[in-house]
Amino acid sequence: MASILAWVAQSGVLQGIIIGGTLAFLTAVLIMNAVARAVTKTNNGWRVIRQCGQPANGVLVRAACAKALPVVNVFEEAAYWTTATDGSGQTLAGRHEYILRFPAGQLPPNDAFWSLTLTDVVGYMVNNPINRSSIDDRSSLVKNADGSVDIYLQHNAPPGHGQNWLPSPPGKFKLMLRVYLPGAAILNDTYRVPHVVRTT
Amino acid sequence: MNRLILKYGYPLTIVILAIFAWVVYQRVSRGWSEVIPLAVAAGIVWVVGAPAFIYVWPRLTVNGFKKAILKHGLGGGPIPVNTLYAAPMTSSASAPRGSLLATGTDHLLYLGGWLDLKAGPQVLHVPDMAGRYYSVQFTDPSSSANFAYVGKRTTGTKAGDYLLTGPDWKGNVPDGTRRISSPNHAVLVVGRVFVEGESDLPIAYGLAKEIRLVPLGRQ
Repeated sequence: MASILAWVAQSGVLQGIIIGGTLAFLTAVLIMNAVARAVTKTNNGWRVIRQCGQPANGVLVRAACAKALPVVNVFEEAAYWTTATDGSGQTLAGRHEYILRFPAGQLPPNDAFWSLTLTDVVGYMVNNPINRSSIDDRSSLVKNADGSVDIYLQHNAPPGHGQNWLPSPPGKFKLMLRVYLPGAAILNDTYRVPHVVRTT
Repeated sequence: MNRLILKYGYPLTIVILAIFAWVVYQRVSRGWSEVIPLAVAAGIVWVVGAPAFIYVWPRLTVNGFKKAILKHGLGGGPIPVNTLYAAPMTSSASAPRGSLLATGTDHLLYLGGWLDLKAGPQVLHVPDMAGRYYSVQFTDPSSSANFAYVGKRTTGTKAGDYLLTGPDWKGNVPDGTRRISSPNHAVLVVGRVFVEGESDLPIAYGLAKEIRLVPLGRQ
């Protein structure tokens, strides 16, 4: 017995198990990330996964969803888009200023509500002077003359546009657009979230 | 924990891999035969382990929620099994970092609960929501799939009672109660109730608290 234990300790089997287990974990993470990327649809820089939470999902999609969006709603209940980049693919950061413009009549269609939340890169809301971490369909957003709606994503208040301002932190940030009970145009994949445009 | 992994994942991985490389190098330098048991063990564990991790990952994540609910709760202390707790406040930046409520939306009041249906079915009661958006999501811990919803989209906003039964349950469904069969005895429950704004918060919270679980036969 003692000799077996000594062999296990000295032969490298134990080290092999530890190394193999770690490599297995890393491989699993890489595979789940790859599957998550494969099922993610990107339009105008906004990423969305439509099939999470469905009972019919296979092992790989389940795992990828659990990793990317744990315990998320099914898409018919709530659609979630995220982006950490502007329309040109550059990382969103508080040292720049951005506008998200919804053309007239192109705010997200829904039967419940929509909201645009700004968080740090991990997903936590950020403290800011006006205590606003999201903008939504109840925010009494000011429309432009042509009916479009501009949302200002920047660290300092935009003069004259405070109503449509979503404050960003000094550092990198990301956006999440939630649409609860998404409308037909979202469900049939014809609706497009406009891209975030960097202005300075 | 997740936050730490996200923040330090890459450097940590590189350090660990470097240590492994050094261990292997030490053995190889004593002769190639020295590394065979290590290589065989690593290979077997790797090949078996990677699919195993992928298979159990949904369960691990749902168990994270289970632990959060049963040990920490949503701000009001641990939530006992087979009860629902409604958080009185919406998510906000002032919620403790790392808490589940610092990541949601400030238009929803969240409810959380963990069901164990081994001892018998539970009856979910929902009040009349008068058109207000709400949903109660039932998630199977083994697959992380949402096998059922009660709420505006699926059942409407009128008051109702729903019988949640575990696998293999046989019995009579009470009149006026709709049955929801769970594929598993354990179920994660996540509820969401829409909040119009600050003035609406007390009304929304009052309704959220009326979403309740009662064991069958004790209504």
